[in-house]
Amino acid sequence: MIWLELLLCFIATVAFGIIFNIPLRLVWWGGFIGVLTWFIYNVLPDFGWSKVFSAAVAAFAAAFVSHWLARFRRVPVTTFTIPGIIPLVPGGRAYSTMLAFVEEDYFNGLQQGIETLLQAGAIAAGLVFALSIFSIGKGVGQRYETNR
Amino acid sequence: MGKAEQTMECCLLGGKLMLRYGAETYRVEDTMTRMAQSAGMHHVSSFVTITGIFLAFRTTEGQDLMQMIRVRERYQDLSKVTSVNQVSREFTHGELTIENTIQKLIEIEKAPMNYPLWLIYLASGIGGAAFSYLIGGSLFDVLPAFIGGLITTVSLVLYQKYLKVRFFSEFLASLTGGMIAILLVQSGFGISIDQVIIGTLIPLVPGVPLTNSVRDLMSGDLVAGVARGAEAGVSSLSIAAGVAVSLSILYI
Repeated sequence: MIWLELLLCFIATVAFGIIFNIPLRLVWWGGFIGVLTWFIYNVLPDFGWSKVFSAAVAAFAAAFVSHWLARFRRVPVTTFTIPGIIPLVPGGRAYSTMLAFVEEDYFNGLQQGIETLLQAGAIAAGLVFALSIFSIGKGVGQRYETNR
Repeated sequence: MGKAEQTMECCLLGGKLMLRYGAETYRVEDTMTRMAQSAGMHHVSSFVTITGIFLAFRTTEGQDLMQMIRVRERYQDLSKVTSVNQVSREFTHGELTIENTIQKLIEIEKAPMNYPLWLIYLASGIGGAAFSYLIGGSLFDVLPAFIGGLITTVSLVLYQKYLKVRFFSEFLASLTGGMIAILLVQSGFGISIDQVIIGTLIPLVPGVPLTNSVRDLMSGDLVAGVARGAEAGVSSLSIAAGVAVSLSILYI
């Protein structure tokens, strides 16, 4: 069953690459990054890690591979990261949040909403970590001027 | 037209195209600075927010030039970003003259979209169907999610073409998609309403502003990063409002 999921994840990510108008020669790489992301996101909870932390690790892996590939193929890195993190988007939780609010179940709605926000934050955190690793030595100064 | 004016036009055109089709702010600034420097200009400064570009430099004769342009429309077309990136790379390496670069940039600006519109409709249907299986895991709901995703994107394109209102057309597209999904499930074409609605609405996810906002904030372009985050937030809220309205009308 996991194979069917991985195949469908590949198809979904490639389809999103076409929605974002990514050139045809690069769309397939985005599909492979999406499969990797989905695999990590689904395997880590089996080892007892929380969903949010798994999302952060999966987003980190997606962004890391994207940066590496972008350097290798000499194209903007967003061509790979944007489809790569699509499988992590908390669509289901966002929908349950809206449903709970429409049904006037505000307590449940707030709980689901916070989980949605946490997962979005985890995706951002994964992106940020990979970006920080790849921009070591290139950033601008902050707080103390030590080089004079 | 002198060399300085030509350089200015070339840099601003490249920057405008990159910003309009969804490049990160730091990439636009970096591209314009590199192009101006490789054309022999000094003291190059560029400042880019998501709605406008400023560029200033000093020519070899010591004359100062500064211009700004406003970028109103923003699309998601990453293949154009990739092409502009390639052209600017060739220009910086000295493989293209300024005239050729401007020519190539104008060609990129006038080129049609990379994929025909029907392929994008089809892709959003397929993407929605595959994503709905990943979320819910029932093969019976894949077909209604396909129909829903297709109709959502078709209606989004139509609303944007005829109404020309940014967030309202997303709200209307999400409302249409949500109502179609609920009607399909209620008339017996699907089992789980959650799965169908998620598959229907996932093509509307504002992926480009969301990713670019994180990138801009990290590279220190705070104005652009916060603005893009706000854009992604308002987009998501209008989609959520569309679902909420369709649920209130038909489901509850």
